[in-house]
Amino acid sequence: MSISAPISSAEPPVAVWSQTDGNNAKISLMGKINVYSLGGVWTQIRAAQNAWLKQGASQSLVLDASQISSLDGAGIAFLIGVEEVQQKAGGKFEIVGLDARYQPLLKEFDPISNLFPVPAVIPKRSFIVSTGMAAQNLIDDARGLITFTGHLTADLVWSIRNIKQVRWGDFVNAAVEAGINALPIVGLVSFLIGVILSFQAAIGMKQFGAESFVGPLAALGIVREMGPLITAILLAGRSSAAFAAEIGTMTVNSEVDALVSGGLSPIRFLVVPRVLAGILVMPILTLYADIISIIASMFTMLAYGIPFINFYNGMLAAVDIEDISSGLIKATLFGVVVSAVGCLRGMQTGTGAAAVGISATRAVVSSIVMIVLVDGVFAFISYKTGF
Amino acid sequence: MDMTNNNSSNTTYAIDVQNLTVGYGSNVLMKDLNFTVNNGEIFVILGGSGCGKSSLLKNLFGLYQPLAGDVLIEGQNITAAQGAERQKIMTSFGVMYQQGALFGSMNLLENVTLFMEEYTELTQDQMDLLARCKLDLVGLLPYETYMPSEISGGMQKRAAIARAMALDPKILFLDEPSAGLDPITSADLDSTILDLSKNLGITFVIVSHELASIYAIADKVIMLDKGAKGIIAEGDPKVLRDTSTDPRVHQFFNRIMSKDVA
Repeated sequence: MSISAPISSAEPPVAVWSQTDGNNAKISLMGKINVYSLGGVWTQIRAAQNAWLKQGASQSLVLDASQISSLDGAGIAFLIGVEEVQQKAGGKFEIVGLDARYQPLLKEFDPISNLFPVPAVIPKRSFIVSTGMAAQNLIDDARGLITFTGHLTADLVWSIRNIKQVRWGDFVNAAVEAGINALPIVGLVSFLIGVILSFQAAIGMKQFGAESFVGPLAALGIVREMGPLITAILLAGRSSAAFAAEIGTMTVNSEVDALVSGGLSPIRFLVVPRVLAGILVMPILTLYADIISIIASMFTMLAYGIPFINFYNGMLAAVDIEDISSGLIKATLFGVVVSAVGCLRGMQTGTGAAAVGISATRAVVSSIVMIVLVDGVFAFISYKTGF
Repeated sequence: MDMTNNNSSNTTYAIDVQNLTVGYGSNVLMKDLNFTVNNGEIFVILGGSGCGKSSLLKNLFGLYQPLAGDVLIEGQNITAAQGAERQKIMTSFGVMYQQGALFGSMNLLENVTLFMEEYTELTQDQMDLLARCKLDLVGLLPYETYMPSEISGGMQKRAAIARAMALDPKILFLDEPSAGLDPITSADLDSTILDLSKNLGITFVIVSHELASIYAIADKVIMLDKGAKGIIAEGDPKVLRDTSTDPRVHQFFNRIMSKDVA
């Protein structure tokens, strides 16, 4: 190994290893010892030192610091690093010629063993323990959800009684953000869904010459299922995440704590206006999505030779007011769930910037899971009751 | 400036501020500032809240572009520098922000080693040892595996100082380092600053209100004033305290209430 060879750059190495005999070695430092010049050199010196220490016991290393032109914190760390290796191996170590002004800094780190902590062993969790912990997390999460639902219900009832004390300004802001600002994306997505739905249906139905039934089928599917579902998923992606990020940032900045210590309920203050906004905008957005989708479907079926009037009549025969109101009631439930879950995840935010991102992700995921759950329950109820 | 010597670090100032105007858009906070910071000096910027101390600091280390004027760091104009040249100047100093600004997703050790990973060829073990030395200097060695959110505000500030020192810069900018620290920690920090300045020749530019700490460490202070939009006093803090005839300076150094001045 050629220790004295220059390292990567044109500059001469700042440290050179030399062995006088088996028991005595010397490291000569020269020039500017800093975090940049030590790159590579440190590793080589260390390798030479290790190889030398393996040869035998009672070895003595001298570090000649007389030719240093400048030494910084990294240089001092290097000295400590060399000394530690020597200490561990039971060898002798001596620094000669170090400028007096560097001595106090070197002393600052005594005893140097503190700088070399024994790496902590992270206990491995067995499968049973980790399963148990996951289950516990699930239970805690469910408990949090139930508690939150209780608080929210109580505060919603409270706000009906004390209608004037609801934060209507926040409500309007949330409703504009979640509702009016969502119109373009909801319009675009529901238009495409309308086209795709009737197109796909038409391909199959055409084999039986039943294109004329596509209109009623698509309209019924849109009004009862697709309209509310697509709108809710969009609301989850847009507003649930926004609520979580907003309330999450407030949690991180102790703003939520400030509300609590001021004797105010954060749920009443932050969650109720947003949930009310969700309740207001979801049915309206859904109705809007239904109309756009059906119009899209009508145009698609025109390409299959079904005139508007035939589509319209077929739709009237299949879809009645009960179907529409069933879809809108479901949409309202989605609105409650999506906005409440967004707020809940925001309130559960931990600390730090990353926690806000995690909360926003959790808000979207939980919202979509809850949408599907509510949809399933709703489907069961409407199957049993015929509504 | 003596231009006969080629070794510029001996002849130029650590920081040379020339006709600097600080502000945001049309809102001018400080006008035509001129001052210099010598190598190895502990330089403190004083002034009441909201007078633009932190803004001035951010102009000095090039985070904000000044409205007018130049800032020379070790003779190099950071205001005009671009690209690689600018990055080189940027690595010659360290910055501690008022709120710490630690990276929340990394523990303290990783916060300190981050810049080393990017700029040096050291191995992970070597960087860890370096980082532990920095954390030891600010008294946070036992907390290396803690996340920033798990430690107190004062500890976050100290960790931020350790991070600022990661590459052993020649200049350290500290924005209110001792605010919010307990007296003992604050005194420890002062002694660390003095050590680093005396033994390693590090230049400090510090924004601070803590009079006790200022008297203990500052070689030179400048005092800014909102109304004057500039420097109203410059020099040794103890001399200013005892001899300044400017009522604003006198009031500041002797902690006199506003209502007692009129």
